[in-house]
Amino acid sequence: MPTVRIDVEDLHVAYAGRTVVAGAHLIADEGEITGLVGPNGSGKSTLLRTVYRHLKPAAGRVLLAGTDLRELSPVQTARRVAALPQERGGDFELTVREVVAMGRTPYKRAFAGEDTADRDIVARALADAGMAEHDGRRFTELSGGERQRVLLARAFAQQTEILVLDEPTNHLDIRHQVELLALLRAQRRTTLVSLHDLNAAASVCDRLHVLHEGGVVASGPPREVLRPPLLAEVFGVRAAVVEHPLTGDPLIAFDHRSPADATPAEAVDAGAV
Amino acid sequence: MANALLSRKSPETRTQPRAVPAGPLAAVLAVALLLALTAAVSWGSTSIPPGEVWGVVWRRLSGEPPRPGTNDLIVWQLRVPRAVLAALVGAGLGLVGTAVQALVRNPLADPYLLGISNGASLGAVGAIVLGAGAGGALGLGLSAAAFAGALATFALVWAVARRGGGFAPLRLVLAGVAIGQFLSGFTSYLVLQAGDEQQTHSVLFWLMGSLGGANWQLLAVPAVAVPAVLLLLQARARGLNALLMGDETAAGLGIDVVRLRRELFTVTSLLTGVLVAVSGAIAFVALMVPHVCRLVVGGDHRRLLPVSALFGALLLVVVDIVCRTAMDTQELPVGVVTSLIGAPALLYLLDRRLGSGS
Repeated sequence: MPTVRIDVEDLHVAYAGRTVVAGAHLIADEGEITGLVGPNGSGKSTLLRTVYRHLKPAAGRVLLAGTDLRELSPVQTARRVAALPQERGGDFELTVREVVAMGRTPYKRAFAGEDTADRDIVARALADAGMAEHDGRRFTELSGGERQRVLLARAFAQQTEILVLDEPTNHLDIRHQVELLALLRAQRRTTLVSLHDLNAAASVCDRLHVLHEGGVVASGPPREVLRPPLLAEVFGVRAAVVEHPLTGDPLIAFDHRSPADATPAEAVDAGAV
Repeated sequence: MANALLSRKSPETRTQPRAVPAGPLAAVLAVALLLALTAAVSWGSTSIPPGEVWGVVWRRLSGEPPRPGTNDLIVWQLRVPRAVLAALVGAGLGLVGTAVQALVRNPLADPYLLGISNGASLGAVGAIVLGAGAGGALGLGLSAAAFAGALATFALVWAVARRGGGFAPLRLVLAGVAIGQFLSGFTSYLVLQAGDEQQTHSVLFWLMGSLGGANWQLLAVPAVAVPAVLLLLQARARGLNALLMGDETAAGLGIDVVRLRRELFTVTSLLTGVLVAVSGAIAFVALMVPHVCRLVVGGDHRRLLPVSALFGALLLVVVDIVCRTAMDTQELPVGVVTSLIGAPALLYLLDRRLGSGS
């Protein structure tokens, strides 16, 4: 049994005529939550899109449990990786149940209906995401938090060992963010997730990769990666990293008054004297 | 707190369970379609009892010689082909409408957006105006010219839309609208060049959409194309569902999105070309039918496609009965009636959608 992990090796991806990911290396290890953080435009979404095959690598490779993506058909890939992209979909009168049942797509032939096994899987996915009692509602009338849970249930229904999620907590209020991330942790699947919120990443992820201008500039446990010099260099912010009084996780306290470039290190030192 | 209360309340007030299962609905629609077809053949300037209608059809289908008398001719040569054409064109429009709305991910899209019908119209109008002795008769030559126009337009839109990332919805619509408008400029010019009133009249009649040209030969191509497209689309129903959520979602579900879009664009364009070639550009049916059906059976294409085909067929057969019998002195073009019904229906649906506050 090969380890169920994702290996990204020297990946280059072009998008809209521009090289967005340039030589990225990363590993998402089995059963762990691996976070992808980085400023806007650093290539997070592009890298994830390549893992779930919306985009093709220009060079380098992506391995799923040791197998190169190029050796897998789209359907075979979809049986190993479930994706949660940042898409909202159009208003097409789909019910919650119908959206979750889409997760069965990679397993069904043309014309095949859903059997009892599919229905059980969909029901369990809905229950795992806490949306069981909403299965008859219209998808478009759900709140943002409910929608994300439904889309997560769709990913669960795909029954893959690997989950790839692109900013799943975007546009959610803090309570829904906490719930969604707790749901992910409870799954214990190999998970690769991009997150904007560095504090959320610090407390939820086992390992972080920091993406900057298309390449991974730091990797490791959040505590080791999220240090003030890196935050200044990659994110351009001044911050102190302290211990979270409740959880003991690293807690990044940002200086919201001035960005890092505005106050060079010498100036700060001078002020401190 | 208020938020939690509101969201707790919403399942009871907002849930719209699909009260209508697709299977029984399809059966009801099929029966209604048979009744409408019977009425379409039975009613007209000469009234023919339904029993006699089916008698004639039975004798023709079983190869017995027709009974002497004129009703055989009226039933078999005039009214049956027309009623069947109405059903085929209606079913076809329901199907292409459903597929194009998924293809461009917009529930208010229309296959005519992709420019194909403008190309077909230009071909047909060119044949009427320039064709030596075409004289305004709706016939196979005219249909061939219309289909040729549709094919040429398809190739043109394809060439423009394929660049920059494989038939992205917006690019497809922009290419279709731009090319369609360009071609309809030519069509307008040709209409002005029409030699006489009779020519102008037949051009206008054709542009508005009409089933008046129906005959058995004309039925051959749509009779094969419409069921074939239903099968092709039904086989891709899950892919169509996934496209509704977005290209990335579809890719993540194992669908080759660019290939699926290419197939959908090809199939819908060809069928649109066939339909416009035999009946002109009938307005609103392809837009309305999927929309109405979606409200009744939901958005899942495995149910939506067959129901849209049946409802489209039923709708156009009924509309054509109205067109033939509403006025004593002349027949209305079917497109006039579909517009008169379709525009208010669309406004009602939009109001409902926006009024529901979602």
